Amino acid sequence: MSDIFTRYGDGSPTRMSKEDIRFDLEEGTRDAADRGKIPALTEAELDRLFEICTMPEKAVTVERGDEVVVSFDAGTLKLPVRAGIPMDRSTAILTHERAFCSDTMELGHVDYSYKQLKAIIHEECQAMEHIQLNTIIPVFYGAMPNLGLYTKPDGPIDNWSELLPLAKIAEAKAAQEEAVEHAVKDMVYVASRMYESGADGINFDTVGASGDADVLATLQAAQILKEKYPDIAIEFGMAGEFVLGMHGELYYDGTRLAGLYPHQQVKMAEKAGANIFGAVINTNSSMTFAWNIARAVTFVKACTEAANIPVHVNVGMGVGAIPVTNTPPVDAVSRADKALVEIGKADGL
Amino acid sequence: MSIEDIIAESRETILQCDQARAVAVAERAVAQGFDPVQVLSEGFSYGIRQMGDLFGRGEVFLPQLILSSEVMKSAVVILDAAIQGGTPQAKAKMVIATVEGDVHDIGKGIVVSLLKTQGIEVYDLGRDVPTVKIIEKALEVDANIIGTSALLTTTLMGQKKLEDELRKNGLRDKFKTMVGGAPATQRWADRIGADAYAEDAAEAVTKALALLGR
Amino acid sequence: MAITHEMAAGMGGIRTAGDLVARMQMTKGMKIKDAKEYVAAKVGVSTFDLCDEAVMKEVREQLDIGHVQARVGASIGMEAKFNIARVLDMKIQAVENFKRKTGM
Ligand code: B12
Repeated sequence: MSDIFTRYGDGSPTRMSKEDIRFDLEEGTRDAADRGKIPALTEAELDRLFEICTMPEKAVTVERGDEVVVSFDAGTLKLPVRAGIPMDRSTAILTHERAFCSDTMELGHVDYSYKQLKAIIHEECQAMEHIQLNTIIPVFYGAMPNLGLYTKPDGPIDNWSELLPLAKIAEAKAAQEEAVEHAVKDMVYVASRMYESGADGINFDTVGASGDADVLATLQAAQILKEKYPDIAIEFGMAGEFVLGMHGELYYDGTRLAGLYPHQQVKMAEKAGANIFGAVINTNSSMTFAWNIARAVTFVKACTEAANIPVHVNVGMGVGAIPVTNTPPVDAVSRADKALVEIGKADGL
Repeated sequence: MSIEDIIAESRETILQCDQARAVAVAERAVAQGFDPVQVLSEGFSYGIRQMGDLFGRGEVFLPQLILSSEVMKSAVVILDAAIQGGTPQAKAKMVIATVEGDVHDIGKGIVVSLLKTQGIEVYDLGRDVPTVKIIEKALEVDANIIGTSALLTTTLMGQKKLEDELRKNGLRDKFKTMVGGAPATQRWADRIGADAYAEDAAEAVTKALALLGR
Repeated sequence: MAITHEMAAGMGGIRTAGDLVARMQMTKGMKIKDAKEYVAAKVGVSTFDLCDEAVMKEVREQLDIGHVQARVGASIGMEAKFNIARVLDMKIQAVENFKRKTGM
């Protein structure tokens, strides 16, 4: 059969003709180029991407010599929590180190937000100290900035999600600015304590989940941490492919944060002192894998070209062309990895 | 002023969030006897869909989107009155919620803001809402449409549950249903038997109006 | 997913030199090429061999920087990290803490 087995962005399997796959690759790269105002992939790159999409093997891999580093978000939430394996977090990390052969791991709490960690910081520090005695691989401590938690009813600040629909725009903006101050304090506090307890790095995960203020807070926190501890390793994992403008007029070092795409976001992260940038490109569940991967590779290529620091592309469910499904199929995952590394020139995943 | 000029200007007022001018254009359109439905759909609604689109590309930000939807609402009041010859049109009603177990509500909020610009009365039940609550509210307000948002592959089933419950209770024909959220697709909507799927807020407006036969 | 990514594109963690290259990215912000070159020079193999299980098993055992298979007398955990810090000529925060706490 001349038709190629492939998938949609929600994981559902389908078959497509070679012409249709090629068409979707071209449309995907065009969409990214248009949105990000970045160059589309070249003919040669599209040819290679076409080969990767149409390889008959179930799983594919990068070529020898092209291997990259893998880092994790929600690290210790994966085995003991999501997979429901009754093991403690240090066992989870050692399983990653000694059985899965992960290059790095992340210690995280089920309540995965910096704000929530203040109250249990001693337990988290202690966990890190224990883990550091037993592990060889570098271990990050990670959580989300999650600015939304500073708003009512979870926090002291008026909720901009309620103010905005009422067109109370000035109030909504002021609330976001206030939340930034609280969040910076919490992130600096928790990250400092974890670093002092031996964390090899601090991961800020899903930066921007609450919009541009979330990004500003994290940039400011990173900058303070870097001044305080010049050797601290900071990873910046984004929430979406562009910074959602919930405020719209927040600037970092003279650049408006709202609307920045990965190749622009990475420059902000660099300025704040991040050592690794976690680029995110959203998967569109209605479109095909070919469309999604062409799009993701186009954004990633622009990002790695702009970056002076390593870029680890987020390849979890629903991002980086990985289908939005709880059990992402290996054919799609391995193809996404190969394409992002080979053509996107990712430094890690 | 020609109808083309009116349409072009009404789009512009939305894109520029210019309330005074929007009201003026709407009034001028009515005074000159142009078809208010056409001015609304090809002018203002088109503009708001464009805003939604620009928002989806990161070129326009939420406060501007909200502002433009406020501008839109004030134009709608004027045009609506003209459509009904003075008496405002009976408002269509829509109940919307993020399904049970899911707290993602940013996208749904944007959908709500844009739907409201179309003169649809939207009952936003918030997030993490059990199916029974959604149905209860829809019955209570006699809604035309029930919209659900799901952002997690695990909570997507909440949208199917709504369809199943409606069918089980003989209520399926009473409402139109609409699904959205990142993991939802047209294929998903077809599979569970939802009446419409929309990829983003701009499309949600188009699809909602289509469901309402407007 | 961790296994799929590792198979498709990962360096192989402590089976090879993945953890070492990761450390250079993390602490020095080195891109993958520079990080591999740095580590390769320090452990005395080619960048290509950094992901070769057979080569790296010997290197890791020789440098005593920890490996997947437990061996009697071989360094594990903190011990291995002491050696990694020395081999890569870098500071590891937990190692510094250990030294401070034990008066080393
Ligand atoms: C913001 C966010 C959060 C915030 C939510 C804050 C809030 N108040 O909403 C917080 C931090 C709380 C959060 C928590 C979690 N999240 Co979250 N989150 C996101 C994120 C980064 C962005 C979502 C978003 O707001 N997008 C922007 C809006 C504008 O887009 P949208 O929602 O798609 O909406 C548009 C359309 O879909 C459509 N639409 C939406 N609703 C409707 C409804 C109708 C009727 C219609 C017609 C159209 C429509 O129109 C909208 C406007 O254009 C996504 C990743 C991503 N980049 O998408 C992850 C993501 C959705 N989250 C994810 C996960 C896993 C979680 C957690 C489980 C993580 C954890 N372990 O804690 C929890 C779950 C909590 C829960 N029980 O729901 C995963 C889901 C993966 C999967 N397979 O399901 C994602 C994809 C990230 C990832 N790759 O891991 N998250």
